[in-house]
Amino acid sequence: MRAVTATSLMLTGATRLHAQMPQSATPQAGAGAADFVALAAGGDVRAFEQLYRTHLPRVHSLVRRMAGGRDTDEITQDVFVRVWQKLGTFRGDSAFATWLHRLAVNVVIERFRTEATRRQRMHEGEDVFEILAAPRATGDLAMDLDTALTKLPDGAREIFVLHDVEGFKHHEIATMLEISAGTSKAQLHRARMMLRKHLRPAQGAPITT
Amino acid sequence: MTTQDTYTDRLSDYLDGELDPGGTAQVEAHLEGCEECRKTLADLRLVIAHAANLQDAGPDADLWPGVAACLGDGRGHVAQFRAPSPSKRFSFTMPQLVAAALALMVLSGSMVWLARLGGERTDFPAVAGQAVRPEMTPANLADAHFDEAISDLQQALDSGRGSLDPETVRVLEQNLLSIDNAIEQCRRALAADPANVYLNSHLAEAKKRKLALLRRATSIVAEIKG
Repeated sequence: MRAVTATSLMLTGATRLHAQMPQSATPQAGAGAADFVALAAGGDVRAFEQLYRTHLPRVHSLVRRMAGGRDTDEITQDVFVRVWQKLGTFRGDSAFATWLHRLAVNVVIERFRTEATRRQRMHEGEDVFEILAAPRATGDLAMDLDTALTKLPDGAREIFVLHDVEGFKHHEIATMLEISAGTSKAQLHRARMMLRKHLRPAQGAPITT
Repeated sequence: MTTQDTYTDRLSDYLDGELDPGGTAQVEAHLEGCEECRKTLADLRLVIAHAANLQDAGPDADLWPGVAACLGDGRGHVAQFRAPSPSKRFSFTMPQLVAAALALMVLSGSMVWLARLGGERTDFPAVAGQAVRPEMTPANLADAHFDEAISDLQQALDSGRGSLDPETVRVLEQNLLSIDNAIEQCRRALAADPANVYLNSHLAEAKKRKLALLRRATSIVAEIKG
């Protein structure tokens, strides 16, 4: 009986997506995306592959930044397998991309989640300042920022990515990471101060936290 | 901790609008007289701006084969049909029941919409405005045989509905409704463009799907009853 219910939800979600198909959008941007989601929810692997290819760069970048470059490909694969398994629960209440990114964040968090590990990740890496003080290797500040992110302490990096790159609020981050909002704010500031040194090495004085 | 440290630690909250009006005023007053904090504030703004403009990049290698290899499990739910006795339990996978109707439902809406919208497509052959070839017979919207067959099957299904699990009946009815919606969409589109080859073939396909689904369901009911 449970299996029937799960599949029924799948159909219901797809039906809702179909109903929400924009009637005035271009086929490529509107109906096409909704169609792929609905078809994939119904078990269409080819449609799911299309979703995968559409969202792969975004998800891969999110995972890479969140995980500090560790096991990025493997975690990204896990994300899409999880998406496939949970696609039936997507009800269309938010944009598919939003739902997907939230799921990706959760996969990364679960990957590294233990209470002890989490606590350590919030306080480690005090020696990162000297590493980040290295002069920029290229003229591309954005690329340098991506590189610098990998050198941040895990906790500070996760919060920086979630807040400044992904746009989550502190209370959302606090819930996802099981920390207080105050800790989230403090870690965000810490991350920014470290990255600031990296982006402006010529003017940087030793950073204190 | 110095006064400057105190204010420096509040600069991110200041930038993010996390301070209350009093705190904001205090920081702004401090900034007026502290060049170091003004520099720090400018740096933090730079970091935030770059973070918002980071470019996405995919993996070096294609990860799809690894993903595809894991897709076989977790979605093959099996729906159990309630039978009069344990020896007469029947089952078939729900994807068999829903996949065709679901795909049809979604494709119907988009294809009909596209056909009515017109314009160039790259993934479907352009059929709008194409004349029906003499050798092709458009689907007959008033096909008496089809309606009669549907009616018979529907009656058979109604008579055996009590043999099926209520949840399964609900799923079945949802699928039938989806197909009916697809047929109706085709019908409306064809009213404006009767010669559209794609719409005619799509309508015929929808009718076949409905027949197949009803036949499958009624055969299950017959087996349970038998």
